[in-house]
Amino acid sequence: MRKFDVELAVGFFLLIGIICLGYLSFKLGKMEVVGTKGYDISAVFSNSGGLKVGSGIVIAGVDVGRVRNITLDNYQARVVLHLPTDIKIQEDCIASIRTKGLIGEKYIEITPGGSQKTIPPGGKIRDTQPAVDLEDLISKYVFGKI
Amino acid sequence: MHFRPLHSLVLSLGFFLATVIPVFAGEPTQQMKQTTEKILSVLSNPDLKDPGKARERKKQFSQILDERFDWEELSRRSLARHWVERTPQEKKEFVPLYRDLLERTYLEKVDDYSGETVRYEGETLDGEYAIVKVKIQTKSKREIPVEYRMLKKGTTWRVYDISIEGVSLVNNYRQQFSSMLQKSTFQEVLKKLREKSSFENP
Repeated sequence: MRKFDVELAVGFFLLIGIICLGYLSFKLGKMEVVGTKGYDISAVFSNSGGLKVGSGIVIAGVDVGRVRNITLDNYQARVVLHLPTDIKIQEDCIASIRTKGLIGEKYIEITPGGSQKTIPPGGKIRDTQPAVDLEDLISKYVFGKI
Repeated sequence: MHFRPLHSLVLSLGFFLATVIPVFAGEPTQQMKQTTEKILSVLSNPDLKDPGKARERKKQFSQILDERFDWEELSRRSLARHWVERTPQEKKEFVPLYRDLLERTYLEKVDDYSGETVRYEGETLDGEYAIVKVKIQTKSKREIPVEYRMLKKGTTWRVYDISIEGVSLVNNYRQQFSSMLQKSTFQEVLKKLREKSSFENP
């Protein structure tokens, strides 16, 4: 009977360990369990410039959401943004892809608009600004004149 | 009346096709083309070339631009959140000043015109919104992609944003106004715009 108790305790602790590991991997990987509070809206960019699923979305420098999905749609990048329910985005906002520093990671910045209408869940940001490729820009000025 | 699922399906499919598929040389492109042609004809008019005619030339440009650009929409979008807080009087004052600023910037660019060609790259229609894509080829064979974002008002399509090389004009001014209004009052911004306009057209 006593042996059985020890085995039960070990199993119990192992189970707790696995749960902790699962929790940590979700937390560190910034993965979201299906059904978190929030809504999705989409935006089409002519160039996503290496934006990744999980990249941040900022408004006025404050991290508010994550990129949920990026797909190719008619040779343009269609990005699905996941935002918390309490953050409303105006219909005339502009989403632009920016770079942290000169060669840092990419993120989406939303400059809020002044419209009274907000974008409903599943809606679309109409005005977007693609990633500006620094290398491309430099080469235009270096090799521009033929 | 009975609800006919097939009819509504056909109808909605029609709408879907009409709005999603890019249409080449549709109404917005044609109207934008007309405006560009008018500007080019003023630019290449030898009668208006000498400096004495600068005022007359500017007047003609303003007329052409007024037809195509929706200054109020541009102002509203550029001021964004701050637009809502303004009184009708302030809005009335702001729109012409902002128009002046944009016109001057536009004309400065256009003034060094030397045989650039404009190529129309198609358009995207989405309800009452449209994007007209254009490539301007300079003499040195460099291509500058320009996008006119337009909104339908009545029967005419009017520009509410221009993006050059992917950089939006409204977004640029929106950020500038927003940081200006963070530090100073709206009256000071108006004053700054007024000074700039009187300095450059005395």
